[in-house]
Amino acid sequence: MGEHKYTGPIAGTFQKMADLIGKDVYFVNFLILMFLTLFEVAAVFFTQIPFTEIDITRGAVWGVLIIIGVIKGYGIAAFFMHLKGDPFIYTRTALFPVLFVALMIWGIGLSNPDGIDSLPAWCTPNWDYSYVTE
Amino acid sequence: MEQGGERMSGSLHDVKNEVWMKTVVIAVGLLFTGLLAYGVLAGGVGSIKHSEWEDAHHELENSEMAWNVANESGTIAEQNAAGKVWEDAHHVDVDAHLSYLTWSTAGKTIMVMFIVYAAFYGVAGFFNSIQSEEEHYEGDDHEEHHGSASPILMAGGILLFMMGFPGFVTTCKAWLGLDYEPNMTGFMLSSIGTIILIMGIGNWWREDMKGYPEQVATSAPFKGQDIRKAGMWIFLISETMVFATFFSSYIRMRTGWCTQWAVDAGRCDVVDTTTASDLLRHDVMTLLPGAINTFALIISSYTIVLALKTAKNVNWKKSENALMARLFPSRKKAVRNYLLITIALGSLFIVLKLVEWSHLIAEGFTIDSQAGSIFFVATGAHGLHVFIGLLIMLFMVFKADTVGYDEKNGRGIEYFGLYWHFVDLAWVAIFPAFYLY
Repeated sequence: MGEHKYTGPIAGTFQKMADLIGKDVYFVNFLILMFLTLFEVAAVFFTQIPFTEIDITRGAVWGVLIIIGVIKGYGIAAFFMHLKGDPFIYTRTALFPVLFVALMIWGIGLSNPDGIDSLPAWCTPNWDYSYVTE
Repeated sequence: MEQGGERMSGSLHDVKNEVWMKTVVIAVGLLFTGLLAYGVLAGGVGSIKHSEWEDAHHELENSEMAWNVANESGTIAEQNAAGKVWEDAHHVDVDAHLSYLTWSTAGKTIMVMFIVYAAFYGVAGFFNSIQSEEEHYEGDDHEEHHGSASPILMAGGILLFMMGFPGFVTTCKAWLGLDYEPNMTGFMLSSIGTIILIMGIGNWWREDMKGYPEQVATSAPFKGQDIRKAGMWIFLISETMVFATFFSSYIRMRTGWCTQWAVDAGRCDVVDTTTASDLLRHDVMTLLPGAINTFALIISSYTIVLALKTAKNVNWKKSENALMARLFPSRKKAVRNYLLITIALGSLFIVLKLVEWSHLIAEGFTIDSQAGSIFFVATGAHGLHVFIGLLIMLFMVFKADTVGYDEKNGRGIEYFGLYWHFVDLAWVAIFPAFYLY
């Protein structure tokens, strides 16, 4: 856990914000996590964007939840878990299970009730479903 | 100070028996506090809320009778009026029931948590306090680290505990007056396993309090890195897979359900499955426990970072702010108090989680359904991780208060912090998936 300055497009922005308010990156990360949590809760409650008549669709909320989740996850892993300042071997270690998670998601797609006839063609090359659909 | 494959993790400490006896005193205090919380919350406020619920239920029964009479012999207007009265009474009854559950569950949860805290402190501390003084300290600052047998002891304890657990549960149910046959073999097996587990924890605790040389990896891929840190990350990989299985089962089932969300999104027509999020996200008050828990975990992640920063900061100075100076009067006490705040926030998480569960169960969302099963197993496993973290932090608070954490042995906080942040990270995924989506 060093007190070094963070660089890079995202971590560097965190660092600039920290320098701006005279605090460390951990404090900025903490504030961003709190704000994003408020934002994701608000996204579920509102049916329209406040002060407009633009409807917030379920798809949009889903997208907001995913994007905020990824940003929050990055904030915790990069700064609180120090992956940003530690040797790269730890980041590689942390990313290792992603392979298995991707395989799981693939399996979920294949075993989905709609998977028989709704999967994209690249996912089901030349499969013959006649024995199932007949 | 690095010697071959080892570097020192702080100097070795001599922790006397009288220091260990402090844990027994703390355990008694924790036990008393737990019983007091139960008495005030569940016994006191809970009783008042229970009588309010009984009154509300009585009103509901009366309004139901009046509605039945109106349906049999009244006019349409009278039937509608009676129906409205019944509906209002039903809402009051539900609110009164949930209010009673809130206080009662909070009191019971705090009591059980504090009993476990007390058992952990009392048994493990007492076990260490009766060791001979020579056992505590061998007087060799360059002692070679031989590894510890404690995890094997703990694993054996867990094995026995799990083997006897079904019998343990049925025996407890029988003692609570439910219609079950006590299984004393299972109960004894589980009890012995628990004692062995706590002895293993106590032994590990003693070894860590004493301090030992930090082992450093000598070969790729972690060459030059602390073995404990590499081990913690590999452990976190396995934890990621555990939570990934919960998510995969949830996503797999969720894509097949016609939930309110799916209907709103136009993907299907008739709701066939109610998820926890359907019951939680429609109102601020029902979502509040989950939202507070999210904030509590984020704040606790930050306080553990502050504990580590303080431990490593050799130039630490007392704050000029009077309140902060009082809360954090010295570097040693600041570390301890940051850890205590983290424990308080983690305990709040557990209490709110169980309050929320009690509300969901009261509304008919139980583990019997597919949606309930996945929700309770996933959030329960996460809650268990939080609780295990709290038990580890109890030890860390004791160490911070006695031996103290500094720039030499602060790594202990850092490696525990990795686990705690991971628990926070898992919640970052669980909260939107199970509460908001």
